[in-house]
Amino acid sequence: MSTLDDTRTDAPTARADHRTMYRLELRRVLRDPVTLFFTIALPAFLFLIFGTSESWAGEKVGNGNVAMSIMIAMAAYGAVTATVGIGGQAAVERAQGWGRQLGLTPLRDSSYVGVKVALAATIALGPIAVIYVLGAIVGAEGDASAWALSALVLVVGSLVFALYGLCFGLLFRSEAAISGASGSVVILGFLGNIFFPLTGALLTVAKFTPLYGYASLARYPLTEGWIVSGDAAPIHEPLWMPVTNVIVWTMILAIAATLLVRRGRGRQ
Amino acid sequence: MTTSTAPAVELVDLGRTFSTKDGAGRPATVTAVDRIDLTIGSGEIVALLGPNGAGKTTTLDIVLGLIEPTRGSARVHGRSPRQAVQDGLISAVLQTGGLLADLTVGETVQYVASTYGGRHDDIVDVLARTGLTELAGRRVSKCSGGQQQRLRFALALLADPRVLVLDEPTAGMDVSARREFWATMREEAARGRTVVFATHYLEEADDFADRIVLVAEGRVVADGPTADIRATATGRIVTALAPDPEAVRTVFGPDVEVEHGRVTIRTADSDAVARTLLDLGAHDLEITTGSLEDAFVRMTTHHIPTQPTPIEDGASA
Repeated sequence: MSTLDDTRTDAPTARADHRTMYRLELRRVLRDPVTLFFTIALPAFLFLIFGTSESWAGEKVGNGNVAMSIMIAMAAYGAVTATVGIGGQAAVERAQGWGRQLGLTPLRDSSYVGVKVALAATIALGPIAVIYVLGAIVGAEGDASAWALSALVLVVGSLVFALYGLCFGLLFRSEAAISGASGSVVILGFLGNIFFPLTGALLTVAKFTPLYGYASLARYPLTEGWIVSGDAAPIHEPLWMPVTNVIVWTMILAIAATLLVRRGRGRQ
Repeated sequence: MTTSTAPAVELVDLGRTFSTKDGAGRPATVTAVDRIDLTIGSGEIVALLGPNGAGKTTTLDIVLGLIEPTRGSARVHGRSPRQAVQDGLISAVLQTGGLLADLTVGETVQYVASTYGGRHDDIVDVLARTGLTELAGRRVSKCSGGQQQRLRFALALLADPRVLVLDEPTAGMDVSARREFWATMREEAARGRTVVFATHYLEEADDFADRIVLVAEGRVVADGPTADIRATATGRIVTALAPDPEAVRTVFGPDVEVEHGRVTIRTADSDAVARTLLDLGAHDLEITTGSLEDAFVRMTTHHIPTQPTPIEDGASA
């Protein structure tokens, strides 16, 4: 009657099939129209409004024009909204029992994180691709290297903000936490010099906020460091400033996430 | 290391405390599992029976490698729990949560199967065995509690585990869903799996388990074959006022309860006990029938011995 082998010593096939996991995770995101709206449709719409205005879109910035600068900024906003959502959702679904379910499988934490990172990068690519195509259509201009490099910085840098979403999710452990995290991205977007050019004291403060370094670095291949600040003359910003901002915020978010994960374990 | 020689589950001097905060916000320690020694042989069907908060879930979480014990050790087929999980030797149906509402039943099975390397035949087979083939396309959020529980069961079977752990598997199910669940469970047990399940339903433990381990306040208070537990529980309770309770203890052993000169003895042979008590000068003798419920309440609320009560003795006293 027994169909079980009493002397089994090896794992059945302990190699996780990451592609299936990735595919199913991707399907979940594509199924949620609200997420797609906020990560792709809204930033694309904002770009069409701000980026095609005749009064400034054609003005020169670095090796291209202002339309391109706004294109990169809006793609940054969409990409970050996407990764914050993925990070927040990962934290919340783990807290709500899925973590225990996966704890009963041979799946390693590193595999799980790897799949989620790949997912975040894919979802971040959505708004970047759509807005870059729109940009090319409506007249964004810049060197070919500016197009390629800015897109690369956008994808890689957006992954840092998955940690931001993860921290929110770990702190509040509810679906509302994800909405809260995505909402806070709007505020950080203003402080990040994404929606309109900041000047004076506000610009000085803004340089210390998390989205500033990311957006500024993504625009660097285009602007070569020149910041358009309202009516005032353009200011030049050295490369080390956005780079330092990104490194410091990556460290802060990574440490916060680690501490929060540890706190969650102790509480179980 | 082979699985045939080592017991399916072996808990030695197991303890687990949690740090928390008391009402005033000061750090405090809660003992979930005080001290549990338990050995479960391959192929046994064992019920961990006890009230809420007895430490059943914590014990099972340790057996599954979800949490670490703060004292003692847990081995599953001679390995650490986490190793046993990685080798697919043990799996479980958990009490709470554990499902993604936005996946379909079939996708959920695919997802968890992918962590084992995902074989398509296994997925089809597991869906069929748990009666979920028809529901494969349904979103988890649209499934009833019983259907979700069957899905958790399907996920547990994907590993084809030697040891199957079920934590309150039928909580929240109606009577027919419960019956259906245990019918499927019986088939799986008949394949030679070791089954360990936690429950606070006496009836469930009685119907399904070969052996009942009664747990209260983080300790094992009784452990024996289900038939013996039933005999103890359905035995009679003889009480009488005894002039010399110590003399009664010498005859019937230390399990005699004494309160204000009244002795209480649980027994299967109430006539013999009554005769002996009267011979010892006892008076105001009363004999009542104990129910399974009484036994459960008695053994899990007060009178917690340091050593588990040997049930065989209780039944033949």
